[in-house]
Amino acid sequence: MALLELEEVRAGYGPTSVLHGISLEVPDGGVVSLLGANGAGKTTTLRAITGGVRWTGDIRFRGRSLRRMATEEIVRRGIAHVPEGRGICTELTVDENLRLGSHLRRDAPEVKKDYDRVFEYFPVLKQRRRLSASTLSGGEQQMLALARAFLMRPTLMLLDEPSLGLAPIIVRSIFEIIRSINETSQVAVLLVEQNARIALDLSMTAYVLEVGRVAVHGAAAELRGDDSVRRSYLGY
Amino acid sequence: MQEFLQQLVGGLAIGGIFASLALALVLIYNAMGLVNFAQGEMAMLATFVAYALINRGMSYWIALPVTLVLAFGGGIVIQRVVIRPVEKAPILTLVIITLGLATLLNGLAGFIFGYVPRSFPSAFSAQTIDLLGVFISYRDLGVIGVSGLVLLAVYLLLQHTTVGLTLRAAAHHPEASRLLGVQVSWMLALGWGLAAAVGAVSGIMVAPILLLEPNMMQSIIIYAFAAAVLGGIESPIGAVVGGLIVGVTVNLAGAYLPFVGGDLQLAVGLAIIIVVLIIRPNGLFGRAAARRV
Repeated sequence: MALLELEEVRAGYGPTSVLHGISLEVPDGGVVSLLGANGAGKTTTLRAITGGVRWTGDIRFRGRSLRRMATEEIVRRGIAHVPEGRGICTELTVDENLRLGSHLRRDAPEVKKDYDRVFEYFPVLKQRRRLSASTLSGGEQQMLALARAFLMRPTLMLLDEPSLGLAPIIVRSIFEIIRSINETSQVAVLLVEQNARIALDLSMTAYVLEVGRVAVHGAAAELRGDDSVRRSYLGY
Repeated sequence: MQEFLQQLVGGLAIGGIFASLALALVLIYNAMGLVNFAQGEMAMLATFVAYALINRGMSYWIALPVTLVLAFGGGIVIQRVVIRPVEKAPILTLVIITLGLATLLNGLAGFIFGYVPRSFPSAFSAQTIDLLGVFISYRDLGVIGVSGLVLLAVYLLLQHTTVGLTLRAAAHHPEASRLLGVQVSWMLALGWGLAAAVGAVSGIMVAPILLLEPNMMQSIIIYAFAAAVLGGIESPIGAVVGGLIVGVTVNLAGAYLPFVGGDLQLAVGLAIIIVVLIIRPNGLFGRAAARRV
């Protein structure tokens, strides 16, 4: 049984349907990327998983259906969702944002260790702890969003375009950290990306969406090697 | 000079009362962008509850916390029963609902307790002490002390506890908060409870001065609006500073401007609202509302 299973998921906004029956799986501890053009339904897929949009079909997490579950409850079961736009609370300080990540945890000694890890990954966040999160640059905000998600100690992270709007060198370091979080903490990752090349490097399997359907899926290495897939869907 | 200082302290005392009610308004405004026109009537009803408790022989200092707890619960009930079903309605609808709620609570208090003004006990004696030649009543000092304590407690709750952190997060970033496991809807209810309790303090503090009756808070709420607007309707600290400034201004205007006297003090409060809205719409502590259109 996979950690996360989507089965024929259909979803949309009001009368506009966006997903026309998506099925995909994320294995325990695996990294799966969700690729495709703008408007293909990548973000909507993530939003469906955490209950941000109504859906039909079935979504199961650790074998249990998430149907009609409130976002808060889904998140408390171990899914950390870094949304489009990163979801930083700009009214709060960097430290307060991090504390929101860990606020539900009761394992204080482990939390402390995770903070140390976070500041090892992102030393800049330690320096800026007391500052308002609104003063951070785009890259730093992405780091904060990732750090906050890590502090939730999830079994699955949903990452919506972590590379968006960032300089290539920062993108590389952020993806290195995602890899490290996945490897050392066994956190599974479902990654939505426009930047197919860097996403495929990180993931084991990939799904390519096209107007609300899965057009192609398979091992990341295969997709990377398949010229026709690359040209028609991934644009590089 | 002496008299001026006495008026100043009196202004701070009444300002503390305005500040509590203004803070209650700000708490709800922050949580849902709504000015709660029923805040004064909620405070009035809570004061009647305190009155009933004290009348049944409960000591003042027990009745006060008991009333605050009841007001807190009442605020939560109002949010769950009255506000939540229409949470997603346009803001104007919500405003009208709070106006209706105000009328309802006013009528309810009149129905249960009648409209005859009642004297409400104060925990502090009306005697004065001589502080370096300035005569200050224990009552004023007591009101300043109690308001100060309440405001400090709210500050500590909001800034230094996890509940306060999630409250602020839910108020400003509901979507992001949900994704972090914050139960946003309950946080709104908690905000209403907190506002009701803080507002109740203003009612209990002002009742010994004004006499308790269902319309008691109708002038106080105007001053509280003035205080909240002056502070920048989003800022808790602004509400406190605004409350003190309005209290002192109104008191000094009443004492020193012959044409204001006791009759036109309310007009001073309204004038403050208008002047602030014209000159500095974001208030003293508000941020400029830059909005993408």
